[in-house]
Amino acid sequence: MKWIHRCLIPAACSLLLSGCWSQKELNDLAIISAMGIDLKEGGGYTATLQIINPANVAGGLQGGGAGTNAPPVSIYTAEGDNIVATNRQATQKLPRIRYYAHTNLLVVSEELARKEGIELILDAIERDAEFRMTSVLVIAQGTTAGELVKVLTPVDKIPANKVIKNLRFAEQQRGEHVTMNVQDIIKDLTAEGKEPVIAGFIIEGDPKEGVALENTHQTEPPARIGLGSLGLFREGKLVDWAEGSAARGTVWILDKLKGTNISIDWEDKQDAVVYEVIRQNTKVTAKLKQGKPAINIQVQAEGNIGETRVQLQLDDPKVLLKLEKAFEKEIEAELITAVEQAQKAKSDVFGFGESIHRSYPEEWKKLKAEWHDAQFPELKVDVTVEAFIRRTGLRNNPHKRN
Amino acid sequence: MEKAKISAYQLFVMIVLFELGSAVLVPIASGAKQDAWIAILVGMAGGFLLFGAHYRLYRYYPEITPIQYMQKLLGKFFGKLLAFSYIVLFMYFAARVLRDFGEMLLTFAYVETPLFIVNAMLIMVVVYAVIKGIEVLARTGELFFLLLYLLAVIGFILIVSSGLIELTQLMPVLEEGWGRVLKVVATETISVPFGEAVVFSMILPYLDNKDSGLGAGMFGLFVAGINLSIVMAINISVQGVEILTRSQFPLLTTVQSIQMAEFLERLDVFFMVSVIIGIFFKVSLYFYAAVSGTAILFNIKEPSRLVYPLGLVVLFMSITIASSYSEHIKEGLGLMAKTLQPFFLVLVPVFLLGIAYLKNRKKQA
Repeated sequence: MKWIHRCLIPAACSLLLSGCWSQKELNDLAIISAMGIDLKEGGGYTATLQIINPANVAGGLQGGGAGTNAPPVSIYTAEGDNIVATNRQATQKLPRIRYYAHTNLLVVSEELARKEGIELILDAIERDAEFRMTSVLVIAQGTTAGELVKVLTPVDKIPANKVIKNLRFAEQQRGEHVTMNVQDIIKDLTAEGKEPVIAGFIIEGDPKEGVALENTHQTEPPARIGLGSLGLFREGKLVDWAEGSAARGTVWILDKLKGTNISIDWEDKQDAVVYEVIRQNTKVTAKLKQGKPAINIQVQAEGNIGETRVQLQLDDPKVLLKLEKAFEKEIEAELITAVEQAQKAKSDVFGFGESIHRSYPEEWKKLKAEWHDAQFPELKVDVTVEAFIRRTGLRNNPHKRN
Repeated sequence: MEKAKISAYQLFVMIVLFELGSAVLVPIASGAKQDAWIAILVGMAGGFLLFGAHYRLYRYYPEITPIQYMQKLLGKFFGKLLAFSYIVLFMYFAARVLRDFGEMLLTFAYVETPLFIVNAMLIMVVVYAVIKGIEVLARTGELFFLLLYLLAVIGFILIVSSGLIELTQLMPVLEEGWGRVLKVVATETISVPFGEAVVFSMILPYLDNKDSGLGAGMFGLFVAGINLSIVMAINISVQGVEILTRSQFPLLTTVQSIQMAEFLERLDVFFMVSVIIGIFFKVSLYFYAAVSGTAILFNIKEPSRLVYPLGLVVLFMSITIASSYSEHIKEGLGLMAKTLQPFFLVLVPVFLLGIAYLKNRKKQA
């Protein structure tokens, strides 16, 4: 009897422990790196799936793609009335199992974001167990999501990675955009008194050239993906694009700025001194002034002098103090530009309503109903900026021609 | 009752694992919105009182289990009836927790596997553990306790250092006053998970040192309560209340948000392992209480013979109690929370303690 037990237990275990109930072999998977969603004419969606072609990516970073003459990604499009139907329809052409766990990028066309809003497409994504809430979402500015997803890129061979890295490094160094993933966006959409901002990407050049491998074989590709503006949303719909200093001001108020460059005019010379911000801290506080809400923004920035095109005694702390004042003014103006644009668009992307909600929950109940239409556009916003210049680089005073 | 002895430390470990069990998995106290963590702490205070009641009863009758002292307190018929209801209740709770486990795996990892298979896997392990007895279960607990805390500490460091926590999400504190929080405490947190410690009244008689029971139990509840509260506060500050109340498994969403240094991400397995550890102990302890209770009530000499049939009952119950996950959760938070739980987990123990107090006072006088 005993030996039967001894044989039966391992046998039973081997049946159960193999764990191949619904196994998927690696070479049966279509790893989707990016998904583009467009509105289909006459209702419904068109999804463009960017699928990694593993054989053509391997070793690409060092060898510059030597030896492969096929594109690193392959595109499949599908149509349907909703997100799930659209994606399942892709199986008509796709010879593999769709695998979304590595879909790091979602592209939504400007048309879809403006007309229908992004709310409806997000449910399928947060509900699905394979899809990640950390996927980055961007808007295809002035083009369709399908076109954007199709463009091949040099250096970073997988276009989805190029878009995400592009966005992240621009955010770190220029500060006119923020990386927003699906979770951040849903958080902002559902919060009381806050709207999301989402970065836009554009195609420079001819999108038709972008789909060919030749696009990556040139020093200056005929079609190139790059960052556009910062989309402001209202009730889930794209209403306006913030550009340049308005975009940076927005990022600044959101306390998401990681580094940037600020130029000021000095003695009739335009953009003569450049300040490189290395860190900042922004605090948004809500106040009530005679029953009316008001917002106070306090900025503290720290940085170095990056360039000067005028003769300045930078070894003199008094000069630095004067410069600090000028930078503070410049930053303040930028923040006010951002607030004005958002107020005009009636889109509280800064979460001012949320700040009031947190500090004055009772008052917020009264303000809530007409927040976006009446309260926010009229909101009084005070900005105080403190900028500190810490260092001036390897030189103190600029060189002088004799 | 089997001949076994457990130490105070083992009791503490089992209480912590039991309390964390399914409570870290499902969104407990989410009715209190951003104050869920407060509701958990207040519930914990209530749990202290309830555990104190169980402990007092145990001190009145240190050698016997509730199954026996219920008969002494209420008379043969009502005592047996109540004892039998508790056995059924323990089996039902075991089935519920088993269902939680199955639903978690099916929702997020094994979408195509039938629920029966997943639940059967765990109940097999539980059956094996219960056959081995309480001592083995307690020693296993000591091992897994360390693993669980290692995972928890690493997870905590990762969440904090990836800068996901926005404490402003916890504000405004007590937006609707204490009313909403206390309602959640009364209908939810005091009984689940803290009142569930009633199961340990079946285990207290195994203690090797009677006096240490109270301290170990209270400290166990305290550690579990603080941990649950921290987990909830982190969940809220990472996801915000809105996503949290819609999340089936809030902690999973939090763990999935971790993105560290390009490669430390998708740590879902952290969540899986800790939840499976907790749930294994919760099901095992409920099931153990049910099995040993049945053996005592019906005078069965070899309790281990009961394990297989009762295991099958729990397995089938776990599958038939609800036809969908929503139904399962609604049942737990709605009907159960308003009737069974306050009655069996809060009122009956207090009532029993009252009778025991009166009876024993008479004896002494």
